[in-house]
Amino acid sequence: MPTEPRSDTGGAVVSAILIGVACLVIWDSMSYMDKDSAVFPRTFAGVLIVASAAYIVKWLLGRGEAGPGADTGSLPRRVLLVGIMLGGTMAMPWIGFIGAALPVFAALTLVAMYDPWTRFRVLVYPLIGIAIVLGFFYLFREVLQVPLPTGDLFDS
Amino acid sequence: MAGLEHLLAALTPINLAFALFGVVAGTVIGAIPGLTATMSVAVLVPLTFAMPTSSALILMGAIYTGAIYGGAYSAILLNTPGTPSAIATTFDGYPLAKKGDGDYAITIACLASVIGGLVGALALMTLAPPLSQVALAFGSVEYFWLAIFGLSLIAALSEGSLLKGVAGGALGLLLSCIGVAEVAGDVRLTFGLQTLLSGIQIVAALIGLYCIPVLIDLVAQPGHHLQVDSGSRGFRLGEAVRYLWGDKINTIRSAVIGTVVGILPGAGGSIASLVSYSEARRTAKPGQAYGKGEPGGIIASESANNATVGGGFIPTLVLGIPGTPPDAVILGALLVQGVRTGPSLFTNQGEIVYTFIWGLILATILMLPTGLFIGRYAYRTIITLPKALLVPAIAFMTIIGSYAIRNNISDVIIMIVLGGLGWIIGRFGFTASPIVLGLILGPIAESGFVQAWTIGTATDDRFGMFFGRPISIAIIVFTLFTLLSPLVLARLQKIKEQAHAD
Amino acid sequence: MKTTRRSLVLTGAALAFVAGIGLTAQPAPAQAEYPEKPISYIIPFGPGGESDITARLQQPFFKEKFGQDLVISYKPGGGGAVGWATLNTLKGDGYTMMGVNLPHIVLQPQQKDVGYKTDDITMLYWFHYTPDAIVVTDDSPFKTLQDLIKHAKENPGKVIFSGSGKGTAPHLAQVRFDKLAGVKTTYVPFKGTGASVAALMGKQVSAAMAFTTVAANYEKTRLLAVAMEKRHPRFPDVPTFKELGMDIVSGAYRGIAVPKSTPEPVRQKLTAMIKAVNEDPAFRKKMEEGGFAVVDYAHGKSADDFLSSFAKSVTASAKEAGLLK
Repeated sequence: MPTEPRSDTGGAVVSAILIGVACLVIWDSMSYMDKDSAVFPRTFAGVLIVASAAYIVKWLLGRGEAGPGADTGSLPRRVLLVGIMLGGTMAMPWIGFIGAALPVFAALTLVAMYDPWTRFRVLVYPLIGIAIVLGFFYLFREVLQVPLPTGDLFDS
Repeated sequence: MAGLEHLLAALTPINLAFALFGVVAGTVIGAIPGLTATMSVAVLVPLTFAMPTSSALILMGAIYTGAIYGGAYSAILLNTPGTPSAIATTFDGYPLAKKGDGDYAITIACLASVIGGLVGALALMTLAPPLSQVALAFGSVEYFWLAIFGLSLIAALSEGSLLKGVAGGALGLLLSCIGVAEVAGDVRLTFGLQTLLSGIQIVAALIGLYCIPVLIDLVAQPGHHLQVDSGSRGFRLGEAVRYLWGDKINTIRSAVIGTVVGILPGAGGSIASLVSYSEARRTAKPGQAYGKGEPGGIIASESANNATVGGGFIPTLVLGIPGTPPDAVILGALLVQGVRTGPSLFTNQGEIVYTFIWGLILATILMLPTGLFIGRYAYRTIITLPKALLVPAIAFMTIIGSYAIRNNISDVIIMIVLGGLGWIIGRFGFTASPIVLGLILGPIAESGFVQAWTIGTATDDRFGMFFGRPISIAIIVFTLFTLLSPLVLARLQKIKEQAHAD
Repeated sequence: MKTTRRSLVLTGAALAFVAGIGLTAQPAPAQAEYPEKPISYIIPFGPGGESDITARLQQPFFKEKFGQDLVISYKPGGGGAVGWATLNTLKGDGYTMMGVNLPHIVLQPQQKDVGYKTDDITMLYWFHYTPDAIVVTDDSPFKTLQDLIKHAKENPGKVIFSGSGKGTAPHLAQVRFDKLAGVKTTYVPFKGTGASVAALMGKQVSAAMAFTTVAANYEKTRLLAVAMEKRHPRFPDVPTFKELGMDIVSGAYRGIAVPKSTPEPVRQKLTAMIKAVNEDPAFRKKMEEGGFAVVDYAHGKSADDFLSSFAKSVTASAKEAGLLK
């Protein structure tokens, strides 16, 4: 369902940002002691600038190529998903793995819930969530010997 | 030699039990994004100290091969390579699953993995000493060109805009530079942030760029994750076998590519699956729509990545140079056991080596029934688990998985941030695959280039270094062929149509 | 709804299976005295490397002597820096220790801010090193080091060494070798010792600036000289650089450190335990067969003096190599 070529201003904006990123890379590469370290980043920063600039030119000529199209669905839920995951991860060193994982799981269940809450769901979903979190905790910590964060606050 | 007595030695109950346990545990571990083959093998190492060497090898080989196969599940069902080796499996596996054929995709993956695994193991059994020379014939400059060949796949993978694909690839290459430089002595692009010091871990980046966008879109809509047809259709084994038979050239070619790439230390399963996918796509028959749910793409990737298991053992056992990262761990375990690898291992300690190879073959065959059953279970779980549990469960697995790779919270944060940014720029036509290709191939391209340039400068023959070696020339020719043949074919098609019109 | 319940039951079954795998890995019954439980041994590199292998060699000896497991885990990244930067945030209860490498912990903090300083690391023990050595293939035209030096003098820059990385023990050894032998050679960095040996065997380079362990692990290789005070017992025929008139005694040292918060008595106890493993004759024999050179610089003055003299010489070489300002 690709519609007729749209202007794709978003694509041009991303291209402009990428040019900025490339400039940042070149600036960083000035500080390297070893010239071998600089060759590769500078080369591909150049490629990035050329490709992005070419796209902007194309866009200015009215020949932009839009992405997969307008998105549908709930933006708040999307933002919440990423926010909850990030928040839980950042809190992990303080509140420990279990302390972060259980609330994250519960919060994400709420964010992803579209069906009505029946009594069965209210009872069973939390149990499954706890089972998954504890099961994986056990698998990772005891079997795979992964030192999961324990949390400075509780210091268990 | 590889005779019957070694087969019998491999068939002891304990060895069989190890092979079965290894394959099952490996498949489950590989299916979890973030738990890689390397890690699952490393966990087993202390257990192997008390075992006979061949049994220890069978156990580690079985879990390794199972993990490489298990990576296909999450690639197909969640668009997330469970192990980096399964990256090319996502290209067609996920579209196929979205169409409602996830069960079929998994059966195809299982069959292709078994065939690939067997081809790799047979190469190890019969041709190991001569094939190990491939590992040595491949020098820095060849790795550089191999990476460039892999990057040429960007042209095919950038749906929509080629310029955006190239920009994405370059961005991926730059992202791969973050952290302590691999062969030079500098710390690059960290901008003073401790989080970036360890660089962008490839598996974490894969999870972020592929899985987080899926989650983001999953949570935004009430509909089902994958389309489901009603009724049980079994394994769809007959259908899959017929398809594989029809596509046998692709199956075998991919297995051979996988074996050879597996032999190259410094390449590994992800490169193998990308190269064979690229070849399958280049030689596509009319009617095969690669990138849109073509089973041939799954065959190419899965056949190749399981072939790297046998292939990777070739330099490991013959030269003592690990072919893939899990091989490095296995080699370490052998050193602790007091087994010295090298050409004489095959002649002096043949019973260990050949018993192990038979064990690996048995494990690969056992993967067929266990893989089908576990795959069916994984598929049913994903399609029947309600969204309100599926989303948190997957999100939770991505967090714990990307943490466990290096036991580092930074990797989890980078994973989530990359995923969010990837989703945003994906909205504007900058897709994940070119970025990931750049990330994976960047270090190989860079170190190959720096090494070849230094050697070429020292020998006053930089041109000869880059363009004068037979294997390099062959890879360059293939690259040009892959890049140009679609253009030429399209031109020919146009001429033909015009001729018709006139 | 039926399918949902069914899949929920199946999920439970799968978790039970996964948990079942773990039952075999239960720790042994606790003892009354330190160590009461397994000790976590963090390697700041990935599995399969030499730091991992040597830790694995220590594992069974530790278990046999003290009845507790050494549980090895990995925290790779930044050439080890990520691990060392977190060392002092870990619990100092005597059940956490970390592998430490030289020249890494001396050079990294001088190059850039990597989150730790050399002095932040509380060393318990330096237990071995892999001496630098010049390795060639067994069919190489260089029979002795003099052959190589002569060739390098006649063809400046044309003798090519492969080695593991830059700013590493092999790189610094190559710089020092060039200076002391009065030659100019080319150094090509590879990712790890394995890759540098592959380049040597593939005849991409003339020789590898690597370690004695390489000759122990790979057939078809030969050593021309080793950077030790005395000859290595495993290679009695290979001369040291000193014998050949060059003062090069260097290599990649390994040791163990604990978080700063670990109390002194616990540090002492743990040091004594590591010492006991390192001095075990069977362990020493295994290490020497593997090409390692065992040393004993224990917690306190011995380790401190060693580190400060090492730091002085390695910093000087790194400045010469242009790696430090």
